[in-house]
Amino acid sequence: MSAPARKDRLPSAAAATAHQREWFAELHREVAAGSPLALVNADAPQEVFRAMGIPYVVNQWWASIVAAKRRTPEHLARLRDRGYPDYTEQYSSTSLGSAFDPDPGSAPWGGLPMPSIVLAETTGDASRKIFDVWGEQPGVTFYPLESAAADSVPERWWELMPHRWEEAIGRDRIDLMTGELEGLIRFLETTTGRRFSQQRFTEVMALVNEQEEWNRRSRDLIATARPCPIAVTDGIPAVMIPQWHRGTTWARDAAKRLHDDVAERVGAGAAVCEGERARLMWIGRGLWFDLDFYRRFQERYGAVFVWSMYLAIAADGYVRYGDDPLRALAARFAAFSDQLYTPPWSAEWYVKEALAHGVHGVVHLVSDDARGSWATTRALRAAGVAVLELHADNVDARRSDPAFLDTAVGSWLETDVLPGTTS
Amino acid sequence: MSAALAALLDHAAAPPGGAAPRHPAAEDAPGVLPARTDAAAPVAGYVGADVPVELLTAAWMLPVRLAGSPAEDAELGRGYLGGGLDPVACSVLTRLLDGAYGRLDALVVSRDCEASLRLFYVLRELRRVEPEVPIPPLQLVDVLHLPHRTTTRYVLAKVREFRAWLGELTGDPISDDAFAAAVAAHDRVRGLLRRVGDLRGPGQRRLTGTEALGVVRAANSLPVDRAENLLRDLLAELRTREPRTGHPIHLTGSSHDSPEVYEALEGAGLLVVGEDHDRGDLLSAHDVGAPTELAVAERYQFAGPAAPRASIRDRAAHTRAAVRDRGAEGLLSYVRRYDDAPPWDFPAQRAAVDVPSAIVERQPYGEIDPRELDRALAELRAPAEVTR
Ligand code: SF4
Repeated sequence: MSAPARKDRLPSAAAATAHQREWFAELHREVAAGSPLALVNADAPQEVFRAMGIPYVVNQWWASIVAAKRRTPEHLARLRDRGYPDYTEQYSSTSLGSAFDPDPGSAPWGGLPMPSIVLAETTGDASRKIFDVWGEQPGVTFYPLESAAADSVPERWWELMPHRWEEAIGRDRIDLMTGELEGLIRFLETTTGRRFSQQRFTEVMALVNEQEEWNRRSRDLIATARPCPIAVTDGIPAVMIPQWHRGTTWARDAAKRLHDDVAERVGAGAAVCEGERARLMWIGRGLWFDLDFYRRFQERYGAVFVWSMYLAIAADGYVRYGDDPLRALAARFAAFSDQLYTPPWSAEWYVKEALAHGVHGVVHLVSDDARGSWATTRALRAAGVAVLELHADNVDARRSDPAFLDTAVGSWLETDVLPGTTS
Repeated sequence: MSAALAALLDHAAAPPGGAAPRHPAAEDAPGVLPARTDAAAPVAGYVGADVPVELLTAAWMLPVRLAGSPAEDAELGRGYLGGGLDPVACSVLTRLLDGAYGRLDALVVSRDCEASLRLFYVLRELRRVEPEVPIPPLQLVDVLHLPHRTTTRYVLAKVREFRAWLGELTGDPISDDAFAAAVAAHDRVRGLLRRVGDLRGPGQRRLTGTEALGVVRAANSLPVDRAENLLRDLLAELRTREPRTGHPIHLTGSSHDSPEVYEALEGAGLLVVGEDHDRGDLLSAHDVGAPTELAVAERYQFAGPAAPRASIRDRAAHTRAAVRDRGAEGLLSYVRRYDDAPPWDFPAQRAAVDVPSAIVERQPYGEIDPRELDRALAELRAPAEVTR
């Protein structure tokens, strides 16, 4: 998740990336000194580990590092060598390839240290299996969390989540996740000897809410700013690296720094792209293997990606207030991926964001996975927004050659988007 | 072929739901189902083996498990579900939208796999944004499978929710008597299916895997009392049947909702003597027992182990036991394209058995690549004289 170095790099993005390198080096030292280590999925309740002082690495962050260094194919080949498929959920299985690395020292960033616990929700059909394989490695325990689904949901979840999450998600799902988290805490207390302090946990939860409130302000600023003040490739690390450190003062302050950078640039009338002609939204995970992608279109067409889900979901998807912090944490994660991937929640939210940001078009990355795209594309088109479905994979560069991407997006801009914009 | 087997296989081949008798008043009462009569049970189409059929029967509905059809074009469904999803779900959605199942009075979806859940979400969204598309009253039954008390509590809440929903739909709350009778009847059918399964074992081999698949398919869509009678007759008739021939294998991997792949395997000299699919042996592996909501919840929570929802370890242990019990001399994993779980199970399954094993991956729906089949036959060391 490190964007190419540029002189106009957003200071908060550069600071976040630098912090991540230092943190990872320190993590290597801690683990070498005998600390437990958790590998957790991006949509799993990391706050428990934070409160207990158990270091963790986010599975998808590590996959993005491996992808940015173009090492994904070699990681997947290691799975293949062991008889596992290299063609399912590569974003989740890349880190498992690291576990089988015969020479971890030569891997990006000094390699992924071997975790002692892996945590994931049992989403999808393959993700759970990937973690089962983790759990078979010596010294590794897989703690699975249920992933429950609702029969019916209220549409405008983003209005309900901060305070009325019980109503949005439903009592059964939150009861289930709360019970699972109680089990997780007992498991971690027993196996690591570390203590879970309710006071410390309450602080962690408060810091996360503060951090996400800063993200909300940043998102709102960017939505209304003309021209677009920051590059999406800066916004992603400046949001996501602090997200992986949620619940620390560093992360809260980093979110505020991002906000201040954005506010300063808006105040100065700074533009990512002089002569901005079209505002674009990027739906899907980041194209980690081709981070230049986003900039090519602003240079060629004056088309600026003003939106990615990373800042927007930070702004709308995490904030949970309430008297019972464990239940609030359960409410943060019991329906996390529904916010992004399950209609009507996902579809209505993308429309809301597209309209709020005044975008002229949406590039919707559609991978060969089970998430499906019809509802989102339909909802955006019904709201009058042009949509390009880009069929590619975000980590597997074998299927996403830049020439193909550039032609697909370029011709769509020329025919569907630019003619409708007034420059 | 025995008369009962012929009747079961005929039923399995008939379009599910299509032949169900209709109640004359059905059209007049939107929202509320027709009053029950023995001749005209309303039909509840359901997706996935995790739907508690006992409750449908107790609500005086006919539960019909929906199957796709590899021979039919599924582009319509694929357009909604996307190109990366198990083609079975695309086929089921296409058939639903085409009306291929006849009139369904209710549609119940479980999340036995990701594809079923995504199918539910698309149906729910279609009802919201394209209300002119006729979709029957729709309910998700979110049965989960982790072996924990927290999960049981959740599944119990879902079973109760489903019972209440059916009561509202039919205008008639499910009585405890009807509930108890339905549990007992479905348990009897499962017991009979297990006995039919035993007849596939060593020294018996009384029916082919293709036939067994058809029997399960019929049991998934017949009124429970009719299924019970036919299965009793079948057991009596099979007792004197000559053993079927072929190299005995246990089939794992993707579940099969149509016979083409079984036919291809058995046409090539194999005999499928068992499988760990919920359209096979797994369907009848567990009973409900007590006529309580908790017993239903635990039965469905602990059902399986099915590839998309069970751990690799549980699957491997189950495969090992199933191969041994049925005297299989080979283990074949057949994996359909976009069925993501089974290939992750295979290395542990292969290590758990002491017979030759093979996997064929990313196969088209309802087909097996002939070259892949030849390779698998060689790896299974199926005797040369029975291969093609
Ligand atoms: S309902 Fe009975 S008679 Fe009709 S096809 Fe099915 S088994 Fe045969």
